Amino acid sequence: MTHLTTDELVDAIDGVLDPARRSHLDTCAPCREQLTDLGQVLADAHAVAVPEPSPLFWQHLSSRVRQAVAAEPAAAGGWRDWLRWPVLAPLAALTLIVMALAIALPRPVPATGPGRSAQVDTDTTLPDSFAIVAELVGDLDWDTAASAGLTITPGAADRAVLDLTASEQQELTRLLQAELTRAKS
Amino acid sequence: MTHGSAVRNTWVPAASGWTVTVVSQSGRPASTPVDFAGLDDAALVTAAVAGGRDAFDAIVERHRRTVYQVCYRFVSNHEDASDLSQESFVRAWRGLKTFKGQSALSTWLYRIAVNVCLNRVGAKAAPTAALDSIEHFEDTRVEGAQAAMLREERAAAVRRAIALLPKKQRATLILRTYHELSHQQIAEILGSSVGATKANFFHALANLKKLLGNQP
Repeated sequence: MTHLTTDELVDAIDGVLDPARRSHLDTCAPCREQLTDLGQVLADAHAVAVPEPSPLFWQHLSSRVRQAVAAEPAAAGGWRDWLRWPVLAPLAALTLIVMALAIALPRPVPATGPGRSAQVDTDTTLPDSFAIVAELVGDLDWDTAASAGLTITPGAADRAVLDLTASEQQELTRLLQAELTRAKS
Repeated sequence: MTHGSAVRNTWVPAASGWTVTVVSQSGRPASTPVDFAGLDDAALVTAAVAGGRDAFDAIVERHRRTVYQVCYRFVSNHEDASDLSQESFVRAWRGLKTFKGQSALSTWLYRIAVNVCLNRVGAKAAPTAALDSIEHFEDTRVEGAQAAMLREERAAAVRRAIALLPKKQRATLILRTYHELSHQQIAEILGSSVGATKANFFHALANLKKLLGNQP
């Protein structure tokens, strides 16, 4: 019978060697000796312990990690960053304000030529995006919206904006400018 | 509350959507604070990826001992192990968005810690006095303080011998012997096959035996 392979010797150390091969050890002194040697080395390695650090060390380590992580950007990246409520809530609020302003501000009346009657903007339909928002939240009363976390406290939008990273603030500015430009036009 | 104060709102994803904890004007949470320690690893990862640094703190607290012990096994001193543990967790934070949950979080953290350690130990020269001290080691078993001293010397010799092993053999030996990971888990961590892991384990033990000389 052939000697145990390295794979089989590891299985023997782990105690999962196939019984058919285990019987080989009964008759093969070299394999038995090799297994004993490996077992002895493993026992030596097992005997080496990691000194237990001071109980205060664990809090200290956590504190160090916390400080290091605080200096890092958020874990998430890409477009998913924008799916965070601290970003979406002020964005939604500001978008609503901009849309309200766009509706409320007087629009320039096109010049009328001779023989043409002045055209009055009688279109009372809401912009599509506003209609979608209105449809989504129209049935909600204030308490329901508040309990669902959809309302914001005074100053919350300001604080949320302050919590944004520089790139998020840039993107917010860009979106607002685009919205204002669109509203003016 | 003044604008820009340190108090901030915390948003925590729950299984059915988003649960919101709003800090009130008095600075107290308006709703019950989330017990991160009670969440499983998957929920903590989700919360941390959503920007919840408190959730990541809970991950650190849960896995810091294991990560530290892996690092200590590689460098055998507290200061370096502490630095490597910190670096491992910072890398975990950076890469958290790439963690897809295909393996256990602990396995993923093992992989990070092992890579951080292998990079560090690879950059440092192996201890030069190791072989001499190992080869001339004598295991004279006596009682009391002398026996304790000899045990410590023996342990130091084994540590130095482990430090001389090739990287993958060392990593395999550490993960298998001290953390009792399966060959399959080690293969996942080291990016190799189970067969290669078993071979590395065998050769690690064989080389360790050679390095330790003719000791019983």
